[in-house]
Amino acid sequence: MAQSASVEAGYAMTKKLLGIDDLSIGLPVYADRPRAVSKVSFSLNEGEILCVVGESGSGKSMIANAIMGLLPRELPVLGGKIDLQGIDLLTQTPAQLRSLRGSRMGTVFQEPMAALNPLMRIGDQIAEVFYVHGLPGKPQQIIDLLRAVNLPDPEALIHVYPHMLSGGQRQRVVIAMAIALEPALLIADEPTTALDVTTQAQILNLIREIQRRRNSGVLFITHDFGVVREIADRVIVMKDGELVEHGTVSDVLKRPSHDYTKKLLAAVPKPNTGAPRPRSERTILKASHLRKTFWRGNKEVAALNDINLDLRKGETIGLVGESGSGKSTFARTIVNLIAPDSGEIRFEGTDLHSLSRKQWKPFRKRIQFLFQDPFESLDPRRSVGDIIAAGPMAHGASAAEARAVAKEKLRLVSLDPSALDRWPHEFSGGQRQRIGIARALAMNAELLIADEPVSALDVSVQAQILDLLEGLRDKLGLSMLFITHDMRVAAQICDRIAVMKLGQIVEEAPAREILSNPQHPYTKTLIASVPGLSGESANHRTVEAL
Amino acid sequence: MKSFVRRFPRMAIGSAIILAVIAMAATAPIFFPFSPWDMRGSPFEPPGSPDFLLGSDALGRDIAAGIAHGAWVSLMIGGISTMASLGIGVSLGALAGYVGGRVDDAVMRFAEFFQTIPSFLLAILLVAIFRPSIFSIIAAIALVSWPPVARVVRAEFLSLRKREFVQAAEVLGVSHMRVVWQTLLPNALPPVIVLGSLMVANAVLTESALSFLGLGDANWMSWGFLVGSGRSVIRIGWWISVLPGVAIFITVLGLNLLGEGLQTWLNPRLSKRDMP
Repeated sequence: MAQSASVEAGYAMTKKLLGIDDLSIGLPVYADRPRAVSKVSFSLNEGEILCVVGESGSGKSMIANAIMGLLPRELPVLGGKIDLQGIDLLTQTPAQLRSLRGSRMGTVFQEPMAALNPLMRIGDQIAEVFYVHGLPGKPQQIIDLLRAVNLPDPEALIHVYPHMLSGGQRQRVVIAMAIALEPALLIADEPTTALDVTTQAQILNLIREIQRRRNSGVLFITHDFGVVREIADRVIVMKDGELVEHGTVSDVLKRPSHDYTKKLLAAVPKPNTGAPRPRSERTILKASHLRKTFWRGNKEVAALNDINLDLRKGETIGLVGESGSGKSTFARTIVNLIAPDSGEIRFEGTDLHSLSRKQWKPFRKRIQFLFQDPFESLDPRRSVGDIIAAGPMAHGASAAEARAVAKEKLRLVSLDPSALDRWPHEFSGGQRQRIGIARALAMNAELLIADEPVSALDVSVQAQILDLLEGLRDKLGLSMLFITHDMRVAAQICDRIAVMKLGQIVEEAPAREILSNPQHPYTKTLIASVPGLSGESANHRTVEAL
Repeated sequence: MKSFVRRFPRMAIGSAIILAVIAMAATAPIFFPFSPWDMRGSPFEPPGSPDFLLGSDALGRDIAAGIAHGAWVSLMIGGISTMASLGIGVSLGALAGYVGGRVDDAVMRFAEFFQTIPSFLLAILLVAIFRPSIFSIIAAIALVSWPPVARVVRAEFLSLRKREFVQAAEVLGVSHMRVVWQTLLPNALPPVIVLGSLMVANAVLTESALSFLGLGDANWMSWGFLVGSGRSVIRIGWWISVLPGVAIFITVLGLNLLGEGLQTWLNPRLSKRDMP
């Protein structure tokens, strides 16, 4: 695919669209490094997709904001040149920049709901793009645009408000706005990060299609190498504000030259290829006929629709599904944060659902929960020591004993015991997730329910946390229910994978069977949508390309 | 210190004003070692006359002494009644927000009962029924000003309960009382502290208004009483009403500045702008 793209791009190769020369962007004095972006140079040709890859804080979004002239005052451009079709963007007045935005360069942001005005109808929002540039914006033009981004029934859609659309549809509207005036340059800042994997695949296709049709240049910012493999012609890799690697997509992905690129590529989760672990005879957690419905307004939504699951001792089951599939509801039902409407959850034979709060307490020690967001799940007003000690103290340990436990568990998750007296905000996302793991293990839990524990983390940190969880699982004999939206993550850590859709488990099988031979059509779509896979045979893809 | 003033100018000015008022109240017995009710000379002496720094009233009482002694009454009533209504408001709000359901409904309907009656009228009514005294005034102010506290605490609790770190405490098996005390209250407190400082300002105003209407405690000189006593003679001696009024104005301004300053200080999202 990359080859055909470069052939096609080759015909327009001659025309340079965007040139960035020695661009440096400053940071406020209290930041951890002097510059957000330091001496970055690259160029983008017409009809080309250039991916800027990096982890959070690498400065990749700053480049996009500098091009658009949207940098906040605290982040001044210190030097360099940004040239768009012969216009020096850094010397433009705010009014000149305003007229260039939209007409010469369009932007697609990460979060479509935040990029759209919730009080304006879709048609009016798109028309606004025309109005602010002094153009009429006829209804037919808007309908054509909505059709161009493959939205169904554009005539009806122009009267609709953003909240009535799905995430993918909203992102299509944002793309329609970005391309309304046919800008030569399209900047896409993590446009698929907030979307489900199947939607992501559609949006990536759409961006590809629009770019080919109009021969525009796309600056595509992402953290995901799967997306890079899917869409890029050329790649630049950013680290701490510096450009560390620059090359064609096949060069960078197959023959990375910089250590950091190699590290990032190695951190992309890979399916476990070791011998499958034997399945224990003993069931630790058994859910049967679990149901839970929510009321959204006057609409009934079945979050859990007859869920059955059998988790054996020492086993890790991955629960994979898209947002709204009910996987988090299931996780929270197990630890009694949500009460199911009917059905049973048995933990080593005891029906958890029927227990009183007091009867539940002994099980709190044995079943623990790992939360998704490391910034949200630690109390900002308590020290790390207190946070980890809270569990043992709730079960009768003295303060001194609990502190000793906290110290021991910090070592277990490879953090320095000096962390005890520090505050959560002093730690990075990965470190905070380690603290969360230490808290969950402080009472020697047997079953760990992990709700998207690595989804909020950068890929290299994600790899470390996955390794840690895997190591702890083997060392402590933990059973684990691992909830994730990312098939690649599940394939790395799980023995079995259960695929959830609309409150039902549509397929459940050993991990490698699901990957190599998915049975249910939804599982097939899900696996085909994992970025960086398409166009290769199923076996080949699961082992090598992932 | 200097950077603190520059980062939180409102809070610096507000605290300076309040400290000055407290100092005035504390030093009143030293500078004016007599009862503010004593007649010390001829009536209607204008400010700046040899015996009276800020003039005298219709009975020859010293306005400066009245303001200085009255400061103590205003601050005490403001402080104690706010403490009391925070006590009522935080407990009821926490109960409503944490337990939810019918308890929440009951508590909130009870709060609405207080909120639907104009609070100043209710305060007058309460003070009038229980005979004007320093205790009935404090009790009346506390009773009419707790509903907003309960609402704020309830709202904080409701949103905090959905946060992951609170669910984490739940999953660890932490008891209800500990969840409330260790996890929810410390996180719910910043807006309550801000509200508290604004409530002190409101209490000072309410007390002044009650005294102005003659519902003050006859044993304590207060600013409101001074304003009220000068009302009928304002064309002869404007200073009798105006100067205590200025004292009320400055104190309330100081408390409001302090409240706003606390808000920026305690709210990390707002104070980030003020980082060095």
